[in-house]
Amino acid sequence: MAFPKPAATLRSATGIPTGRLAVWWLLASEVVIFGGVLGSYLMFRLGHPEWADAAAHTNTWIGAFNTLVLLSSSFTAVLAHQAAEKGDGKTAAKFLVLTIGGALTFLMVKSVEWTIEIREGFTITANGFWSFYYTAAGLHALHVIAGAFIMGIVAFDAYRGRELQRVELIGIYWHFVDVVWIFLFPLLYIAK
Amino acid sequence: MAHTAVTVEHHADPHGHEHHGPQGILKYIWSTDHKMIAMQYLFTGMFMAVIGGYMAYVFRMQLAFPGISVPGFGQVSPGEYNALVTNHGSIMIFWVAMPVLIAAFGNFLIPLMIGADDMVFPRINRLSYQIFLLSALLLLASLFVQGGGFGGAWTAYPPLSAVGEYNQTNLGSSMWLGAVALEFVAFLLGGINFITTLMNSRAPGMKAYDIPLVAWMIVIASILFMLSVGPLIAGAVMLLFDQTLGTGFYDPARGGDPVLWQHLFWFFGHPEVYVVLLPAIGITIDIIATFARKKVFGYKLMLYTTVATGVLSFFVWAHHQFIAGIDPRMANVFMVTTLLISVPIAELCFVIIATLYGGSIRLTTPMLWALAFMAEFLIGGVTGIFLGASGSDIYFHDTYFVLAHFHYTFFPIAIIATFAAFTYWFPKMFGKMMNDTLGKIHFWGTVIPFNFIFIPLFVLGIGGQHRRIYNYQHFPELAGPGMYRLREIATIALLVMLAFQLVFFYNCIMSWWRGKAAGKNPWQANTLEWTTESPPPHGNWPEGLPNVYRGPYEYGHPDREEDYWPQNEPA
Amino acid sequence: MSENHEQHDGGGHHVNYKRIYFTLLGLLVVSVAGPFFGILIVTLVTAFGIALVKANLVIQNFMHLKWERRLMKWMLTTSLLLMALMFAGISADVLNHEGRNWENLAARAAIERGIQDPHAEGALAEGGEAEPVEVAFNVENTFNLVCGSCHGTAGDGTGAAGAALDPRPANFTDPAFWETRDRARVMNVITNGAVAVGGSPLMVGWSASFTAEQIEELTDHVLELRPE
Repeated sequence: MAFPKPAATLRSATGIPTGRLAVWWLLASEVVIFGGVLGSYLMFRLGHPEWADAAAHTNTWIGAFNTLVLLSSSFTAVLAHQAAEKGDGKTAAKFLVLTIGGALTFLMVKSVEWTIEIREGFTITANGFWSFYYTAAGLHALHVIAGAFIMGIVAFDAYRGRELQRVELIGIYWHFVDVVWIFLFPLLYIAK
Repeated sequence: MAHTAVTVEHHADPHGHEHHGPQGILKYIWSTDHKMIAMQYLFTGMFMAVIGGYMAYVFRMQLAFPGISVPGFGQVSPGEYNALVTNHGSIMIFWVAMPVLIAAFGNFLIPLMIGADDMVFPRINRLSYQIFLLSALLLLASLFVQGGGFGGAWTAYPPLSAVGEYNQTNLGSSMWLGAVALEFVAFLLGGINFITTLMNSRAPGMKAYDIPLVAWMIVIASILFMLSVGPLIAGAVMLLFDQTLGTGFYDPARGGDPVLWQHLFWFFGHPEVYVVLLPAIGITIDIIATFARKKVFGYKLMLYTTVATGVLSFFVWAHHQFIAGIDPRMANVFMVTTLLISVPIAELCFVIIATLYGGSIRLTTPMLWALAFMAEFLIGGVTGIFLGASGSDIYFHDTYFVLAHFHYTFFPIAIIATFAAFTYWFPKMFGKMMNDTLGKIHFWGTVIPFNFIFIPLFVLGIGGQHRRIYNYQHFPELAGPGMYRLREIATIALLVMLAFQLVFFYNCIMSWWRGKAAGKNPWQANTLEWTTESPPPHGNWPEGLPNVYRGPYEYGHPDREEDYWPQNEPA
Repeated sequence: MSENHEQHDGGGHHVNYKRIYFTLLGLLVVSVAGPFFGILIVTLVTAFGIALVKANLVIQNFMHLKWERRLMKWMLTTSLLLMALMFAGISADVLNHEGRNWENLAARAAIERGIQDPHAEGALAEGGEAEPVEVAFNVENTFNLVCGSCHGTAGDGTGAAGAALDPRPANFTDPAFWETRDRARVMNVITNGAVAVGGSPLMVGWSASFTAEQIEELTDHVLELRPE
């Protein structure tokens, strides 16, 4: 049932395994996408000092908690990688499931946070700051959802001892999602 | 017969897998073979080219004979005119040039040229085509919804593109934007495949400098695309929110800035033209080396110059905004970088000419197309100098001079280089030879009228005719008989050119059906794709993937009797 | 099995992940605490400086960039440099709200409005979006500009654009023209184009460009050209 990989996939003229090479290229393109969003936000924020009033209404504690959640999920992701390297698929899968748990926690907290903010009248059209807030964090959240989904598939395979090299790959992607949030947090929550 | 190998491949699969690949009609939906996916991109791209060409026919008829009821369309209203020019531009760039030059030929050639059995991620390859097909369907659907297709030009500047009341095409605008965004995703996925495959999956013995230039060019183009499209994706998300949610990212009254969109768009838009140029140059140089029976004059020179062009292309974007109100000092900087970038491109032209010099030229149809590419692109390139100089651009911006300039560059890229590649690799793809006489008739019937279309447009541009106007009779200074005649000539030349495309379609079908069998290597070329069957079976070399012993351009080598030396022949 | 091929060359490179994790947590605490000092430079350093440090820790250690081939480091650096270039190039334009001889009035208005009332729903407060300038419809200017190009400003069919047309544009000063036309028909042709009366499609309809009242005025103008 498994898809037969072409010989091309297993070659490595650069010495870097194909999957990892691909993930790094994916990240390079994601850097410019998020760079575009965050760069635009930064330009506007610097040019519109009156946005500081709007930014004052983000909840730093919720943001900090979410940062804690994502950092922890990165930790579990790298532990999964460590286990996968030893060939221990079951442990790797367990750590991946913990990571997915972190993702779901993050998303739940964000949903609650946004609900509160929307109820208070801070909608996406309220103000330029809020437009960027929802757009940037929303784009990030989409990447969290996609990552969690793929991680589930990788965990499923890893538990059965299959395709253990993918644990590292989804981990690299996940760490990137974490790094984006590491920058979003001060931009949206601390710089007031 | 050779062309049945496409279906035979799955039955005679010597890999010994239990799964033979999809059969019957499902093969076209589920196949992950890079050659099948290449064909899908090729035919989708060619179909979209017909649509884009039809749109050009309609609006050129309106321009030459204002108010006429265009045969096959009807009378053209101003809104429809705008939608036609917008979608013509969008289709030709995103749904013709990119899928054909990069996705189709990249998919077909890269694994074959590096001696691999497929791309490294066949399923992602299939996914990227499916997303691409969806984007094409979404775009075509946008033309038929209420309000009609988006008419704000392929550059989609806000506030026209952001506010439904202004563009009058609420649904069409968002569908257009969604189609473009999906197309970007498809090419991001495809790009990862191409880059990783070229970097990692080369045949044993194939060093980096043994890779044929066209493969390098397609991959460098993919890298350029991946790095430049990010900010525009960000900008497009913001534009979509402006259109649908009522945010004010580009609304000055709410703290936004329409000029931001211009910058984000052109930060991508300029590297984008090099994204499509590079494969065209790669195709040209490979064909010229084969039919001049001569080594490429400076392989490494070409490679490094191309990388330099790619890098420099990120520094020139604001030359599209010289009169948008940017600071003149900024304009100075971008003028210098823009004029600078003509240097490496000229370098590439010199390499091509030097490759031809002293060669044993065979004037086959692909060679004619390759030579025409050089000649026509050169004209386009030098006219760009007038536009890159910010002073003269104050006059020329938004006139037909710009339009003629970019058609003199885009047409060679999207059409001439495509025909060059198609006529060159048709024997490999379909196992039959194309009729060379018909090919030459088609060639002259395309290239000569092409010049008669766009040279009048240069003159009109100098005469002050501005772009994106649906009826010049409204402007007394542009409605005189001289200018009217030029518009007429351009349109009639277009009709002649479109008529000659029928020769091409006829040639394709007859050659595919009853052409002479091509054999493995009808052109006596060196690169690896010519060492396997025509068309190549599933897995490309079922009897074993090749090893490589030399570079791709060992033509006319003194130690050899034959004037070519395939890469996989042991020393 | 494929797994042997895929075993990465960084095998065995593992740091004490727990230590890195707790360092990250500590840095998070510092960055949250920073703003409480109320000193701008402290806030900036703790917020963004620490973000850079945290990101670096994650990238080098969790993503193993420390042990990755140089090529990957070049790739990421290139992406980041591109972003810097983009920011530099665009902000030079977008961040400027005034230059030599110009001002971004809308931005200034938005800033002022925002400082006064931060919760304004982006609505058009006073001094907001400029009113579009209303240009009054002038029938003579319109006739000369739009109709005159073919029909001539005197209405005699000698406009420059009309020279190449077949049939020639109508000559309103010719009595023969008026033998078969009346006001209603003229107005019909201006509104719907000559095809509406079985004429040439070269005379387009103008209902999309002018209101009914404006077409009435244009019709009157044409009638004035009728010779007595």
